[in-house]
Amino acid sequence: MKRLLPILLGAALGLASATSAFAIERGGVMTFARYDDSTVIDPVYADRNPDLWMVTGLYETLLRNGPDGMIEPGLAEGYEVSADGRTVTLTLKDGLKFSDGSPLTGADVVFSLDRARDPELGPWAGLLGAVEKISAEDRKITLSLKNPDPTIISILATFNTGIMPKAAFEKAAGANDQEKARAFFAAGPVTSGPFTLKSRVQGSSMSFARNPNYWRPGEDGKPLPYLDQVDFIVIPDDATRILKLQAGEVDAAEFIPFARVGELGADPNLTMELFPSTRIVYAPINTRDTRKDGSKNPLADVKVRQALNYATDKNVLIKLVTFDTGKPMTSLMSAATQLHYGPEPLYPYNPEKAKQLLDEAGLSGGFEVKLTTLAGSADDATLFTALQQMWAPLGVNLQVEQVDNPTRGEKNRSGDFDIHTYGWANDVNDPAQVTGWLGYYKQRQAVGTGWNNAEFNALFEASNVEVDPAKRKDEYKKMQEIYAAEAPLLFLFETPFAVAVSKSIEGYVQTPLGANDFSEAWRAK
Amino acid sequence: MPSLSYLLTRLLQIIPTFLLVMVFIFLLVRLLPGDPAIAMAEAKATDAQLEQIRHNLGLDQPLPIQFLVFVKNTLTGDLGRSIMLKAPVMEIILDRLPTTIFLALYSVILAVCLAGPLAFLAASRANSTVDIAIRGVFQVGLSMPVFYIGLVLLTVLAAQLRLFPVGGYGTGFVDNLYHLILPALSVALYTSAIILRNLRASLIEVLDADYVQFARAKGLAPRIIMTRHVLRNALVSTVTLLGLSIGNLMSGTLVTETVFAVPGVGRLMLEAIFARDYPLIQGLTLTFAVLVSVVFLLTDVVQSWLDPRLRQS
Repeated sequence: MKRLLPILLGAALGLASATSAFAIERGGVMTFARYDDSTVIDPVYADRNPDLWMVTGLYETLLRNGPDGMIEPGLAEGYEVSADGRTVTLTLKDGLKFSDGSPLTGADVVFSLDRARDPELGPWAGLLGAVEKISAEDRKITLSLKNPDPTIISILATFNTGIMPKAAFEKAAGANDQEKARAFFAAGPVTSGPFTLKSRVQGSSMSFARNPNYWRPGEDGKPLPYLDQVDFIVIPDDATRILKLQAGEVDAAEFIPFARVGELGADPNLTMELFPSTRIVYAPINTRDTRKDGSKNPLADVKVRQALNYATDKNVLIKLVTFDTGKPMTSLMSAATQLHYGPEPLYPYNPEKAKQLLDEAGLSGGFEVKLTTLAGSADDATLFTALQQMWAPLGVNLQVEQVDNPTRGEKNRSGDFDIHTYGWANDVNDPAQVTGWLGYYKQRQAVGTGWNNAEFNALFEASNVEVDPAKRKDEYKKMQEIYAAEAPLLFLFETPFAVAVSKSIEGYVQTPLGANDFSEAWRAK
Repeated sequence: MPSLSYLLTRLLQIIPTFLLVMVFIFLLVRLLPGDPAIAMAEAKATDAQLEQIRHNLGLDQPLPIQFLVFVKNTLTGDLGRSIMLKAPVMEIILDRLPTTIFLALYSVILAVCLAGPLAFLAASRANSTVDIAIRGVFQVGLSMPVFYIGLVLLTVLAAQLRLFPVGGYGTGFVDNLYHLILPALSVALYTSAIILRNLRASLIEVLDADYVQFARAKGLAPRIIMTRHVLRNALVSTVTLLGLSIGNLMSGTLVTETVFAVPGVGRLMLEAIFARDYPLIQGLTLTFAVLVSVVFLLTDVVQSWLDPRLRQS
């Protein structure tokens, strides 16, 4: 016994120190500095990133995006898709409650999903376009589809299908849905997610309080979230946001400019988080035979587009613009997107090959191209000067045109550009959204490039009703190969989401889709 | 005090100004390239969705019709709904305006408190070392952009010395005073430089004037000479300048409010422009026009009180 005691003591001490290093502490407030404020956090009306990245904090979906990108159970225990792909059934977990303690039932689910798919209401109704009818019987939810839709499972984990309380919403004052939504949120809404909205001052601040009835358990077996409250402060200016963090007035600041990642990473009080993202930076190339002004477009020739891609040293751009936080694109979609296929970086730097391709295209004498960039963007200015130098030896005379964001959007839509800068982050955990956006002609003329590839279009259409996961995967592989070879883009790089967090905060996550997830964040005391 | 008819005339003069402002702003925002529907939909919407958005906003109507609707609604106090914030423009502006007015008044008071005594000191010891030193320091203030002064103040006083908060907005009067000290100070440093230069010059001029010399010769007490003769005359041009600089200050809030994260109408204007939020830009511009007109009117009233000769002209 005498010999056993020290061992037991030692073991107990060891255990105590081990748990104190990992033990999660509950309670406390976290203050988060945002670059922009939300305007509406209603799952259906949210349309800008600062809105939709907050929605899942307030409204839980039937299914959830897991940390590894796979779909996990949310409010539903799981899902089942019928053999013909036309029926999806889900069963709600038992004993679910809203933040006010009222039960969360099938009627709330039918109400929320019907609202989400009403094209008169939100901009995202199309995501549920395949749904014909939603019905509920006790805890069993049935979605009947007009046609098989392989994306439906991901959609049920997407912010706009967050489950709202039917009774509380309908009770809100107002003649129509829009007015009711406003009154409902102004009054401090009843929620199903980890938090409720405690207070807000438009343009300035917002507070989320812990939802005591949230269903998901934490590591200690008790319900999440760990924090009592998250306070948001809106600080549009990058430098001020960082100063506020350094002064200890906030616990975290998002959208840290890449130029300052190194400096903040060296700060002993901070953790510089670079969360994997689905964000890509690329430059659409106008592939139409003639430009908007009627002149002949050299970029219509695939060899010229390939040549420009080969003549671009992506690694240098990654160093200059992202300060080595980015990585080269390996496909039209980010590596963090499901069904991504891209074994290696696209078009590694090869000026010789670029020259040879231009010779083959009959353009060895050089030509002039215009790059449309965002005025005031330091990143775009860097990109332009670097590209100008990289392409000059090939005789490519790169002109710059600086515009603001709405103007760039309009030029993209009207095809009035040669090449312009652009970026994208997925909103849905499925490759169909980004693929449709970048490559499908009928959607938006393949991100405005005018690229119209019959084989790609057919594959995309087929993949949208393909219920066999293996076949769909194969279709996506082919689409990514075609797209890479045809190069309707200047493929640039992927970037992470850079968030600097105080050392006293653990567990904050920004998901690859950009959502701010505070459900498992906690503060060490 | 100025007569009632003088005030009425000045008020009536404002009406054509507003009409002109309305025509200008209506045309200007529509001449900007870029489409609010595209800005609103964050580029992801289909063409059909964009058409729907434009229809909902009345942007598919011909320009003259849009203008008439705008004027009619404005006259009835309806400034429309913000595209970006999805709420009535009037409501949004009334919500944010007090912050900006608070900041503007705070800056002006700080500027006057800073510039006034120093101008007296400099003028009474014209061309002495003190005078040169004061003018030198303020010349630096004048030659630096407001946002730069702001960033320097932020870095030194807030982030390093931690004397003040790094921007934001408080709750309650005292907390607001504390939170807004740095933005107010950065604007005040610039404004006070202008006031100081002007007030010093006119003080020197007036101190030299015959009627002041005469008053001195009469043996009037220096305090009476100062308040009755010197100050009243020296202030006329300074008040004009102060009025003008409040007008400038309104446009200055665009930058200051963004740097210091102050949720006022200045920052709102910047956001509205980026979002091509026509109703909000129009509403804000009208608000700025009203504010500037009111400030100019008050300036005129104060001036004519200080100098009765101005009432006749």
